[in-house]
Amino acid sequence: MLQITNLKKRFGDKEVISGLNLAVPEHSIFGFIGKNGAGKTTTMKMVLGLLKPDEGEITVAGEKVLYGQTVTNRHIGYLPDVPEYYSFMTAPEYLTFCGEITGMNKNEIIERRRELLELVGLGDEKHRIKGFSRGMKQRLGIAQALLNRPKLLICDEPTSALDPVGRKEILDILLKVREQTTVLFSTHILSDVERICTDIAFLNDGVISMQGKLSDIKAGYRTEEYWLETEKERDAQVLINTFEDCRQIENNKLVLREKDNTIYDVLNYVTNNRIPLLKLERKEPSLESLFMEVVER
Amino acid sequence: MRALLAFMKKEWMEQIRSGRLVILTIIFVLLGIMNPAIAKLTPWLLEMMSDTLAESGMIFNSVTVDAMSSWGQFFKNLPMGLIIFILLESSIFTREYQSGTLVLALTKGLERHKVVLAKAMVLTFLWTVYYWSCFAITYGYNEYFWDNAVAKNLLFSVICWWLFGLWAVMLAVFFSTIAKSNISVLAGTGGVAFATYLISLLPKVKRYSPSVLMDGNSLIYGLEDVQAYTVAIIVTVILCVVCLALSIPALNKKRI
Ligand SMILES: Nc1ncnc2c1ncn2[C@@H]1O[C@H](COP(=O)(O)OP(=O)(O)O)[C@@H](O)[C@H]1O
Ligand SMILES: [Mg+2]
Repeated sequence: MLQITNLKKRFGDKEVISGLNLAVPEHSIFGFIGKNGAGKTTTMKMVLGLLKPDEGEITVAGEKVLYGQTVTNRHIGYLPDVPEYYSFMTAPEYLTFCGEITGMNKNEIIERRRELLELVGLGDEKHRIKGFSRGMKQRLGIAQALLNRPKLLICDEPTSALDPVGRKEILDILLKVREQTTVLFSTHILSDVERICTDIAFLNDGVISMQGKLSDIKAGYRTEEYWLETEKERDAQVLINTFEDCRQIENNKLVLREKDNTIYDVLNYVTNNRIPLLKLERKEPSLESLFMEVVER
Repeated sequence: MRALLAFMKKEWMEQIRSGRLVILTIIFVLLGIMNPAIAKLTPWLLEMMSDTLAESGMIFNSVTVDAMSSWGQFFKNLPMGLIIFILLESSIFTREYQSGTLVLALTKGLERHKVVLAKAMVLTFLWTVYYWSCFAITYGYNEYFWDNAVAKNLLFSVICWWLFGLWAVMLAVFFSTIAKSNISVLAGTGGVAFATYLISLLPKVKRYSPSVLMDGNSLIYGLEDVQAYTVAIIVTVILCVVCLALSIPALNKKRI
């Protein structure tokens, strides 16, 4: 659906994207993960033809994206990180405007507008957009992005500014539209990714450092973690000093990244020295740890 | 085509809801009334002041006013109308760059040249309606108080002025597509207009300058021939087209 090859972009002397390759398969919910300032927004703007790439090629549904031209955007629904609307309009007026510029017919607009405003909970809103809260603007943003049933829905950090309830609502909407469209969304909230994504890519240092099906990546990532809680803080310190794979999370909590069965050595040590334990837990490899691994590498 | 109409509709709605339409209508209607009113009041004002003037040693014969005085006021006050119009509309593009409202429309597949065309068409329409309303009001009063027949080439002279205004509007559109703020738009438009005024001061190249079109008085008094304006008209029409034509690639290149 979306194919990016060897994309490069620099601002001044700072290279933000340096040879990015990305393929978003059809009907996936694609999580585009990166720290703040990693270049997620920059990449998305280049996909939309709003920023000129220094190098590289982008195709959407097989069509090449050209800077300044907007033909390929007919396939795309876009929700920017901070959506800005004509604030003198009401929500239905704005959706009508959007429908008309994309060439939808009148009945289709009326039908779709009602459906979407209902979906995002703005069905009864009569006021002009000027008075909308941030959450309302974000919801209107989803409605306008979905208006003409795009093949690709691009959302730039749609959940970052919202409270947990608002976040869940938006994630549910994204899950719901999966049958109709491909979803690409950027985020730095990993729990959102784990909740809905089928595919992921990590953006780090201007390149994609890992990409694929979420399940494959998790399965392919063999190392496991153990969480260890000792009764006394002193004992935790002793363990850290003895085993270099141990990391401290809290006063008496440790995390052990498993390599070559170190856990048995640790347990041996615990038994020999009669260290009282409160808890020992084996953790599934989490995206969090994967992400940390990628970023630290 | 529908996209263009939809964008024009949005521009129109913005003119109304921002209050610009009301303000500019009031201004141009007032200008239209002011021209004959000032002409009508001049003798009365002079009479009021005649005592003080006589004391200071100035003596004058009673003045007679006719439609010509009112048309003189018309051409004198028009620049103010045009400047206010450009001033209020100078942010028609830059407002959208600064707030980022164009982003969503463009990413929905609206072609950029339609943004330029829609805004240019709405501005042309507004300028035309305001201008001719102002003209019609002045014309009506003049006809009522005096007789418009004394003014030679009246229609031709006001068409010339309208064309000059249209060019100023196109200049503002062009500068709007390359500038980021409305201050730059005003500076650019004002700068070029001033430059053509300076050119019109040079006798040899005077007839090429669009600002010659503002000299309606020479026409209505019959001091200048209609033919003397031909070159300026052709130049201005070409410049209008050039400004609009350059605006399209300029906006295409712009980082929104
Ligand atoms: N117009 C710009 N001019 C200069 N630097 C920019 C511009 N836009 C973004 N950047 C820089 O590029 C980097 C990536 O920004 P961005 O794509 O917004 O990151 P993200 O969306 O992943 O948080 C940041 O360091 C930012 O400072
Ligand atoms: Mg961002």
